[in-house]
Amino acid sequence: MHPVPLFIKGRILDNLEAVRGHFLLRLKLPPAFHHPVPGQFVMIRVTESQTPLLARPMSIYAFEKGAGHSVLEIFYRVAGAGTRILSGLKPGDELSLLGPLGNGFSGNQEARRAILIAGGIGISPLTFLAASLSPIREPFPVEMTAYVGAQRKEALAGLDRLSAVCPDIRICTDDGSMGYGGRVTELFERELDAFDPQGCAVYACGPRAMMKRLAELLEKHPLPCQVSVEERMACGLGACLGCAVAVRTPGGDVAFMRACKDGPVFDIRRIDW
Amino acid sequence: MRPSSLQPSLSVDIGPLSLRNPVMTASGTFGYGEEYAPFVDLNRLGALIVKGLSLEPRAGNPPPRLAETPSGLLNAVGLQNIGVKAFVKEKLPFLKEYSTAIIANIFGETVDEYGKVAEILGMADGLSALEVNISCPNVKKGGIAFGSSPEMAAEVTKRVREATDLPMIMKLSPNVTDISHIAESVESAGADAVSLINTLAGMAVDVEHRKPVLYNVTGGLSGPAIKPVALRMVWQVVNRVNIPVIGLGGIMCPNDALEFLIVGARAVEVGTASFLNPHATMNILEGIETYLREHSISDIGDLIGTLERP
Ligand SMILES: Cc1cc2nc3c(=O)[nH]c(=O)nc-3n(C[C@H](O)[C@H](O)[C@H](O)COP(=O)(O)OP(=O)(O)OC[C@H]3O[C@@H](n4cnc5c(N)ncnc54)[C@H](O)[C@@H]3O)c2cc1C
Ligand SMILES: Cc1cc2nc3c(=O)[nH]c(=O)nc-3n(C[C@H](O)[C@H](O)[C@H](O)COP(=O)(O)O)c2cc1C
Ligand code: FES
Repeated sequence: MHPVPLFIKGRILDNLEAVRGHFLLRLKLPPAFHHPVPGQFVMIRVTESQTPLLARPMSIYAFEKGAGHSVLEIFYRVAGAGTRILSGLKPGDELSLLGPLGNGFSGNQEARRAILIAGGIGISPLTFLAASLSPIREPFPVEMTAYVGAQRKEALAGLDRLSAVCPDIRICTDDGSMGYGGRVTELFERELDAFDPQGCAVYACGPRAMMKRLAELLEKHPLPCQVSVEERMACGLGACLGCAVAVRTPGGDVAFMRACKDGPVFDIRRIDW
Repeated sequence: MRPSSLQPSLSVDIGPLSLRNPVMTASGTFGYGEEYAPFVDLNRLGALIVKGLSLEPRAGNPPPRLAETPSGLLNAVGLQNIGVKAFVKEKLPFLKEYSTAIIANIFGETVDEYGKVAEILGMADGLSALEVNISCPNVKKGGIAFGSSPEMAAEVTKRVREATDLPMIMKLSPNVTDISHIAESVESAGADAVSLINTLAGMAVDVEHRKPVLYNVTGGLSGPAIKPVALRMVWQVVNRVNIPVIGLGGIMCPNDALEFLIVGARAVEVGTASFLNPHATMNILEGIETYLREHSISDIGDLIGTLERP
């Protein structure tokens, strides 16, 4: 069981454009905010007015508990009206948020190697995961390999932070402007057989098409894989049933689970892509 | 009796049902209560209305189920729910522990299904009332909503009345030509109260892909965008029926709730507001109390239905 979420105000420490269209938001939170697990998220209200009406779900990028307060980091892409408003907020501004929410990645105790597969802004929760995996196993830290994909070199975001905790990063760009020319799932497919399924675990977050392709690749492969999915959300608490994710039941039917409460992290094989 | 005379009396009667205050949760926006228990002392609510229940569990619609519109939210959840039997077994024991009135919201695809759901809930221990959602399509009548015809609405009311002695609130659909006509019809068929409004039918289009935003194409609009419509309908119905009216639709803050009470709603339900702020019900309750105190009104009954002429 995760600790109960809180609805609180955070004060913006900074909100800086890291790479074109991608912002790093740092928020100062009261100490009551619980330490999140990688893969958990918060619902952020970008305005107290009624447009946009709903809070935006955002994965937790980093978290640090300090004396008297905590610092929460969000790494976000300007995707529409709400994130555009967010990108205009200044240090000192306050915003309401709800969290930490959902089930994070569950650490696989057996795995000695973590394979991270990130598409676009999906790098955010995986960076938090990588940061939390590396020190846990001292003096035998988990080895990590990250596949990071973007459309082109300019859209690659968050590499600095990830490379500090995971030196083995394999970059893919759709247009070949940096690293492997093609999709992350293509490069991963080529290298898949080099990983020992016994000691490895895959963690992925990215566009739906990427995760769907990954599900196909792993269908006949024993590697365990957890994915963090995105769905539209209203409450973030499991109450509205708005964030339905189609999963396969043991009986072979399709049922709907809640991305916010039953996820956002799921076993990739459970989801009906 | 409250010990201090400064503390206004907030209790209201909805027909046979007595509530400690007029702030209730709207069905489908508060889950089965437990989801909001970390934020709201459920014992401080006037009543807790749970997600709509049908005879059998329902899977609901595929995603996307939500779309945001200016000051509004479109949803097409498709009445997903665990079914009435699982509710009684798995959710009611938790809710029964609270002293708050627990109200089950029910629906069916046939008149008989309404009756069966009401029978099962009538025998369960721990419920204070039923709220009957008649916005649901009648499969036997080509899918027109029960709530869109006075005759069908009356038929459902009678069937539920036969099935149980629990106080019965008929929840009206705004997607009709004359809502007060439907209200009169369910009143004569035996309803103890009416609640209104359910969501307004709407849709949204993604112009890049020229596709509906919702998988279901159409959905129900809620939130601040519908409040003026809801308020007008409540006012109309209050002037036409003698049974208590519960007002809802876009209530976000104390002022919104006060508007409904002043036009004559005996109680209010808070829906979409809880999504933006999980403490919304309590903020609204406290705001009503502050208003009464500031206006030296010692009993909320002295505020309800006091709309002056323009
Ligand atoms: C669990 C979770 C974690 C997320 N983490 C991050 C993150 O770390 N960084 C980041 O940049 N983005 C993240 N997203 C996606 C982010 O929530 C959307 O990009 C954002 O809501 C878009 O809002 P907007 O107003 O700018 O766009 P608009 O297009 O104006 O949004 C319209 C509506 O669609 C919803 N919406 C649009 N895109 C998405 C989407 N991809 N997923 C869910 N809802 C969407 C919005 O919430 C809103 O209700 C996450 C989504 C989920 C579900
Ligand atoms: C996500 C969602 C689910 C809903 N589910 C139900 C339901 O199961 N039964 C019902 O009678 N009304 C349901 N409603 C309607 C609300 O109870 C309420 O009538 C409507 O949202 C208007 O109030 P609001 O603007 O305060 O949200 C639902 C509304 C929303 C937003
Ligand atoms: S967002 Fe409401 S149930 Fe998931």
